Amino acid sequence: MRVFISGGCKNGKSYYALRLAKAQHNGGGLFYVATMKPTDAEDRERIDRHRREREGWGFATVEQPTGIEGVLGKCSPGGSFLIDSVTALLFNEMFPVGGTSGCGAISPAEKTELGLLRVIDSIENIVIVSDYIYSDAMVYGDLTENYRKALAGIDCALAKRCDIVLEAAYSNLVVHKGKELLGKLYDKML
Amino acid sequence: MVLVFGGAYQGKLAYAKERFGLTAADVYRCSSGEAGMPVGKKTVYEIDKWILALVKADIDVSESMKQFISSNRDATVICNDISCGVVPADSLLRKWREAVGKSLAELSRASDETVRLFCGIPSRVK
Repeated sequence: MRVFISGGCKNGKSYYALRLAKAQHNGGGLFYVATMKPTDAEDRERIDRHRREREGWGFATVEQPTGIEGVLGKCSPGGSFLIDSVTALLFNEMFPVGGTSGCGAISPAEKTELGLLRVIDSIENIVIVSDYIYSDAMVYGDLTENYRKALAGIDCALAKRCDIVLEAAYSNLVVHKGKELLGKLYDKML
Repeated sequence: MVLVFGGAYQGKLAYAKERFGLTAADVYRCSSGEAGMPVGKKTVYEIDKWILALVKADIDVSESMKQFISSNRDATVICNDISCGVVPADSLLRKWREAVGKSLAELSRASDETVRLFCGIPSRVK
């Protein structure tokens, strides 16, 4: 099943995403696609915390901070995948460390969206995590506003293509799409 | 009245256009620089921007909303949900945020149907 999950921070997205990916594991590989490029101690601490949370779950960690379709060459597509997160992937493509983005004729947002769509078209069992950053009263500069708009565009495209769309709401799940499919998966969740 | 709300860029206008077969001419696009009441179109888009114009001009939002509702009984009203972030440091934006929240509650009470958009997917909440 292709699952898209979003929501505000600290709402339990990663918690559910791990369990959903594990529930979809059917003997093939179990892959955690890590997308964050650590830039400081706080990032490294967050990555360590996530690693500790995954310990004992059997995930192989695959680093893919840019060019997400690269995972197709590294992992068997018959496995169960977890990509966490769209937010970091887009950020890495739009704001590369020490330079301008090298996406050629297409924009970083298009590159991210096309890459993710290629990945979900090639993989049957996948959970993709994004962040819902669209309901505040801040007025942002163009740089941030363009990023927000691009992320929302990718979220909508992924939600359209996925079988199940979930919103984590403080440890509860709101099912926006695929209620019956989720029911089958839910029985297998820890 | 149908109320459609959700975060920025969640596909609110696309949803209303598809569901009600609207064209650009059916849509009143609110602006934060125009405090005059939106009226006369099938759809009022981004009423939060009109509310910002009211707050800026120091016009009573609650009273304006009552008039708006009685003049737009058959309209589809679209609003950005701006309620879930950090409290803005700017006092105007703080007033705006609260006014939008109160107005959404008022509009939802007056609506026949309320729909929330999440990543392009509608959920009927009323």
